[in-house]
Amino acid sequence: MKPIQLRVNGQAVERDIPDNTLLIDLLRNGLDLTGTKEGCSVGVCGACTVLLDGQPVSSCLTLAVTADGCEVTTIEGLTEGDRLHPLQKAFIDYGGFQCGICTPGQIMSAKALLDENPHPSKDEIQSWMMGNLCRCTGYYKIIESIQAVADGKVST
Amino acid sequence: MMDLASVGQPAGHVEGPSKVTGQARYTADIRLPGLLYGKCLRSPFPHARIVSIDTSQAKALAGVHAVITGAELPDRRIGRFFLDKPVLARDVVRFVGEKVVAVAAESMDIAEEALTRIAVEYEALPAVFDPVKAMQEDAPRVHADTSTYTHPPVPDFVHPGDDRLYPDIPNVVSQVFYTHGDIEAGFAQAAREFTHTFTIPPVHQGYIEPHASVVQIEPDGKVNLWISNKTPFVAQAQFAAALDVAEDRVCVNTAPIGGDFGGKGSLMDSVVCYHLAAAAGRPVKMVMSYTEELLAGNPRHPAVITLRTGVDADGRIVARKARLVFSCGAYSAFTPLHTVHGSVHAAGPYRMPNVEIEVFRVYTNTVPAGHMRAPGAPQIVFGVESHMDLIAQELGLDPLEFRLRNTLIEGDAAPLGEKWKKIRCKETLEAAAKEAKWGAEKAANRGRGIGMYDREPGAFGPSSATLSIAADATLTLMTGAADTGTGSYTVLQQVVAEELQVPLESVRVVQGSTDSAPWEVGAGGSRLTHMAGQATLAAVQRLKEGLTAFAARHMETPSEQVAYRAGEFVNTNEQRLTLPTLMAALADREELPLRYTGEYVAEAPMDVTSFCAQIAEVEVDPATGQVTLQKLTTAHDVGTVLNPLTHQGQVEGGAIQGVGHALTEHLIVQDGAVTNVHLGDYKLPTSMDIPEMKTVLVESDAGPAPYEGKAIGEHSNVAVPAAVANAVFDAVGVRLMDLPVTAEKVYAALREKTARSRTMRRGNS
Repeated sequence: MKPIQLRVNGQAVERDIPDNTLLIDLLRNGLDLTGTKEGCSVGVCGACTVLLDGQPVSSCLTLAVTADGCEVTTIEGLTEGDRLHPLQKAFIDYGGFQCGICTPGQIMSAKALLDENPHPSKDEIQSWMMGNLCRCTGYYKIIESIQAVADGKVST
Repeated sequence: MMDLASVGQPAGHVEGPSKVTGQARYTADIRLPGLLYGKCLRSPFPHARIVSIDTSQAKALAGVHAVITGAELPDRRIGRFFLDKPVLARDVVRFVGEKVVAVAAESMDIAEEALTRIAVEYEALPAVFDPVKAMQEDAPRVHADTSTYTHPPVPDFVHPGDDRLYPDIPNVVSQVFYTHGDIEAGFAQAAREFTHTFTIPPVHQGYIEPHASVVQIEPDGKVNLWISNKTPFVAQAQFAAALDVAEDRVCVNTAPIGGDFGGKGSLMDSVVCYHLAAAAGRPVKMVMSYTEELLAGNPRHPAVITLRTGVDADGRIVARKARLVFSCGAYSAFTPLHTVHGSVHAAGPYRMPNVEIEVFRVYTNTVPAGHMRAPGAPQIVFGVESHMDLIAQELGLDPLEFRLRNTLIEGDAAPLGEKWKKIRCKETLEAAAKEAKWGAEKAANRGRGIGMYDREPGAFGPSSATLSIAADATLTLMTGAADTGTGSYTVLQQVVAEELQVPLESVRVVQGSTDSAPWEVGAGGSRLTHMAGQATLAAVQRLKEGLTAFAARHMETPSEQVAYRAGEFVNTNEQRLTLPTLMAALADREELPLRYTGEYVAEAPMDVTSFCAQIAEVEVDPATGQVTLQKLTTAHDVGTVLNPLTHQGQVEGGAIQGVGHALTEHLIVQDGAVTNVHLGDYKLPTSMDIPEMKTVLVESDAGPAPYEGKAIGEHSNVAVPAAVANAVFDAVGVRLMDLPVTAEKVYAALREKTARSRTMRRGNS
C-alpha cells in the first residue's frame, strides 16, 4: 500500500492504495467518477483520457501512484455548477457524439488541445484527435465541434 | 413541403447534457453495495473434450465468493433464435474463447488471479474453420447432435423463403432459398454468363463500450439486470427463459448503450453473471475486456459469396444465381433469425426477372457470429457490386452506364418480386455521379468506383410509448427502447413538440425499465424513427383527445367545440385555456401525472425502400500498394429528414465504418483463434483516416415514419467496400476479390499483373 495525495477536479484527495492501482480504477471505483470510461484498456482508444497536470493521459495505463502530488481533471471537472464548458455545449450543438461512450475522452483531449493552442487549424484538430477513437460519428462532427469552440462560435 | 416547426430542425441530442458531462451511467458504471466482479476462464482450444476441471485452488483464494462450472448449471441452452449455446461449456468446447469456468470475487484483480489457479484438462478434437469445408461429408461435426436444439417458428416479417433448418448437410444450421421467376429460362436467354467468388472476413462491430452485465437478486428472488443490450424487453424474455422463471421476475433496468451497430442484442455474459450472483449471494458485475470482445464477442459473419449472372446482348441482366455461405461460428445463438437476412440483397437494386439465392449458415469451430449494421448486406454487396464492375469490364461498358441500364425504375418489380413505390434508384445514382464528377479526368493512379444498395425502413414488432403530463404541464415521453446513440430519443422529442406545437425543451424523453415502460421491441433494423415514431404520434393523439375532454368540461363547452392550438385549448367562443392552467385545475381532481400510451404495429410489409449510391475516389501508390481514399460521395434517397443533424451523423458514422471495413478491419483467424485481440492490432479508422465526404440527399415523400420519414441507420456503411475496391481497379487495374483492401494485397496484385504482362509480351514476340 502506498499513501498518495492529489487534487481531483480541485478537491484534495488522500488515499492509501496498492502500488498497482491504475488511475482509472482510482477515479471510477475509488472516487465514483464514472464519467471516465474504459474502452480498450491498452491506451489506444482514448476513452479514458484525463488531464494530469494539464496533460492528456490514458488513465488506463497510468499508475495512480504517479498522480501523487498532481492535479487530475476529469470530465466531471469541466462543468461549473450547471454551466457547461463550451466544448461540452459544442459537442451537443454540432452533433459531436452519438452513443457518448468515447465523449468524455474526446472532450478532455480537445480541452488539452485548446489549452495549448486556442486557435488550431482543422488539420491540427484532426491530427491531435487521432488518439481518440469514435465508432459512431466518423469524426466529422467532432472536428466541427472543436473548430466551433476555437472559432469562438460557442457561448455558454 | 409540410409546414413544420420542430421536425426538420437540426436538434442536438436530447440526452446530450448527461453524456457530455459524464453523468450518464452506462452498465459498467453501475455501482451497488456489496458488488462483486465476475470473470471467466476461456477455452484455449477450438474444439476439445473437457476431461476434468479442478477449481479447488481458486475457491481457496481469499476474496473469491463463487466459482462455477458448466456441469453445475442447469442443462439449458440459450440463444436469440436457435437455443444452442450452453451458459458455460459442458463436456465440450467449440471455439477459442468459449467460457468454461466463472469466478466472482471482491475485486477484478482477485477474480483474475483466481482464474490462473484453475486447472482444466482438455483432449483436443478435430476442428473445422472454413464454412465451405465444414459442409463436406468428411468434415468434423461442430455439434455431434443438434436434434435437441430448439427454436421458435420463422417469423413472418422476414422475406418469405424456402427455409430448411438443420437440413441433412454436415454442420449446416439453415439452408434457405429465395427465388423469383424461372432461373433456368433466364440463363437460357443470356448471351453471356459471368461467375465470380468473393471472400469476406469477420469484422468486429467496434463499439467502444465492451459488453457489461450487472445482476442483483432481491431477497424475494426478483432479479434486477443491467445489461448493454439495445432491446431490453427482448433481453428480459430471453433471460427469463434462460433462468426458467416468469418474465415479470426479471426487471431489465435502464442504461444507455455505448455503441451497438447490431452487436448489442444478445445476453452475452448476463446469464453466467446471474448464476455467480446466486452462488455468491451478492450482486455481480461482469465487464468484458476488449481482448475478450475481439476474441469472443459476436462479430459479423464471414462469408464466401458466389454470383453467377446472365446478361443479354444489350447488357441487360436476365438471370442471377447466388450461393452464399456464411460461417456462424461455433453457435448460432447470437443471431435473432434463422438465416442472414441481408441475403435478399444478392440481386442488388437492379431489374432482373429471374433470381435464385441459396443461403447457408454453417457451424465452424470459430467465434460465434452475430449481427452487425445491415446484417449480411455489407458482405453480399461487396460481392454484388464488384461483380457488376467485373461484368461491365468484360462487356466493355462504363460501370456507371452498365448500372444505369439495369437499375430499377418506377414501375419495375424488384428482383424478388417486391413492388416498391416511388423508386428513385436511377436518380440517386445519377445524383452521386454528378457530385463525384464521374467521367471527369483523373490524375495517374487515381480511380473512382461505385457501390449501390437499398434497404427498406424497419417495420417489425410492436412499438409503444407513454406520454405523461404533470401538474406543472411538463411533458415526459417514456420509451422502453434503449438509447444506442442514434438520435432516436431526439426524433421522438421532436414528434411530441411538433404535434403539441410546444418548444422542444419542454419535452423530456426518458427510458423506462421493463417494469415501468410499455412493451417495445427496441432498437434494430432501422425501425425506431418509423415504429417508435408512430407509437409516439399515437400517444400524442391520445393525450390531445384526453386533455381536450378535460378542457371542454372545464370550459363547460362540448368537446367537439374545443380545439388544441399551440399550448392552449380554444373553444368556438374564442375562450382560451392554457395547458398549465388546465393542469393546475386538474390537480385537485385527478391523479397526476396523466399518462397516455400509444402503440403501433405496421400492418403491411413495407411498400417503399431507400436507395443509396456511393462513389469512392482513391489514389494508389504503385510502389507500395497503399490505397488512400481521397473522397467519398454518398447519395441517399430519403424521405422527410426529421432531424438533419442526427440524420447526417448516421450517414457520416456509417460511411466511416464502411471505410474501416474496406481498408483496415478484419479479425485475423489462425487455427480458429482470433489473433489480433487488441485495438492496436484491430484497426478502427481514426480521425486521420477520413476522406473528404460529400453527402447528397435525394428527397422524396413516401416514407412510413411520421411526416413521411424513411430510415437512414443502415445505409451508408454497406456499399463502401465495393466502391473502394472498384476504385482501386479503376486506378491501377488490379481486382481484389476479398476484403479488406490492404496495401499488401494491392502490392502483390500489382506485382502479379506486371509479371503477367511481361509474360504476355514475351509470348507475343
